[in-house]
Amino acid sequence: MININAIHKSFGDIEVLKGVSLTVAKGEVVCLIGPSGSGKSTVLRCINGLESYEQGSITINDRQVDVASKEINDLRTHVGMVFQRFNLFPHRTVLENVMEGPVFVKNEPRDTARANAVALLEKVGLGDKVDAYPQQLSGGQQQRVAIARALAMQPEAILFDEPTSALDPELVGDVLTVMRDLANEGMTMVVVTHEMGFAKEVADRVCFLYGGQIVESGDAHKLLTQPSHERTQDFLRRVLNH
Amino acid sequence: MEFSDITAFLPILLKGALITVQITIGALLLSTVLGLLLALMKLSPVRALSFTAGTFINVVRGLPIIVQLFYIYFVLPELGIQLSAFQASIIGLGVAYSAYQAENFRAGIEAIEAGQIEAARSIGMKSRLIMRRVVLPQAIRIALPPYGNTAVMILKDSSLASTITVAEMTRAGQLIAASTFQNTTVYTLVALLYLCLSLPLIFGVNRLERYFGKSAKGGKA
Repeated sequence: MININAIHKSFGDIEVLKGVSLTVAKGEVVCLIGPSGSGKSTVLRCINGLESYEQGSITINDRQVDVASKEINDLRTHVGMVFQRFNLFPHRTVLENVMEGPVFVKNEPRDTARANAVALLEKVGLGDKVDAYPQQLSGGQQQRVAIARALAMQPEAILFDEPTSALDPELVGDVLTVMRDLANEGMTMVVVTHEMGFAKEVADRVCFLYGGQIVESGDAHKLLTQPSHERTQDFLRRVLNH
Repeated sequence: MEFSDITAFLPILLKGALITVQITIGALLLSTVLGLLLALMKLSPVRALSFTAGTFINVVRGLPIIVQLFYIYFVLPELGIQLSAFQASIIGLGVAYSAYQAENFRAGIEAIEAGQIEAARSIGMKSRLIMRRVVLPQAIRIALPPYGNTAVMILKDSSLASTITVAEMTRAGQLIAASTFQNTTVYTLVALLYLCLSLPLIFGVNRLERYFGKSAKGGKA
């Protein structure tokens, strides 16, 4: 469903993606891992057009992702995104945050949007927080609202950009549980993460990025326990031994 | 200072106060519309727009308001644009303060985290919708305190209209003082009347600030 073909991307003189290719099938969960600066977040941001790329191509269900085209807004409604820093709208309640897209982008009737939003918030365990403002919630709760906001658009896939990196350790579990449930329901997910346990358990496939390239990719369990590339071995040793 | 003086001067000064209020409201509205337009132009990715707005803002900020008033009232007629002194004062103050308003609004808009705009884009919102639903509602709250201060400054600077013959409160005071020599009484009254207008404005802004502060504490989520 998501098809990335040899994309290149530079910030000024620095080439951050040097020919990354990746295919994600419907219902698949793919985790991108790698040291910071390896380009994993940039790959994710290219998929829904938050970043442009210079060479190669990305298609979602055979539709070209092109930042400059008018179609990009419509494409984004099919691919949700969850950010490291949640990025909720602080001037709107939890419920309004979740209803925003359906009401103002999809022009759904308010009643329908509200019912769906409440159901989604219950699903992520925040049924009692609908009228709270984001800043009244913990980081973990905010991130679950952000997931509900992405789900409200009924996307075909969701991109997660280090969804637990900004959270206190004791709050990580609740967010991962919600993500695990989504994966079990068959949601297509691309996840940039440092949670190796989550990757091993939930991901169908793991890609290790280094220096703007996918150095190694394959079955999650195999790659994380018996990496074949030296860089991957080195990285995993460092992440797992601290 | 005699009580009979006060009762004699007050009606004249109040008439002037009415004109002061009219100039203030007119200039505030004009500066708000122009300032918002300038702020959006300055933040535009289109170079020509941001350059034009930036230049305009700098030129206007670099000129004394009184010179701008003289220019509009005395020079424009030579170019065939006739304005009454009252109109000239509203336009002069409105244009002069639009530069400061633009900076107020720009600061408010720029205070919104880029992450929120990305989040809005990620659910398919278009730029215009993001401006209307995400950026402006928060920017207005952030810009409100400086906006209120600007309103107070416009109120005080409306006294500059006295220099181009508008009979607002300061001018009314000058005229009474010149003919009665009751400087103390007249200017004390004028000062008190300005405070009657400006203090409620200041308190009102403080209240609004507290009110908005409850539902959104600005940027950090």
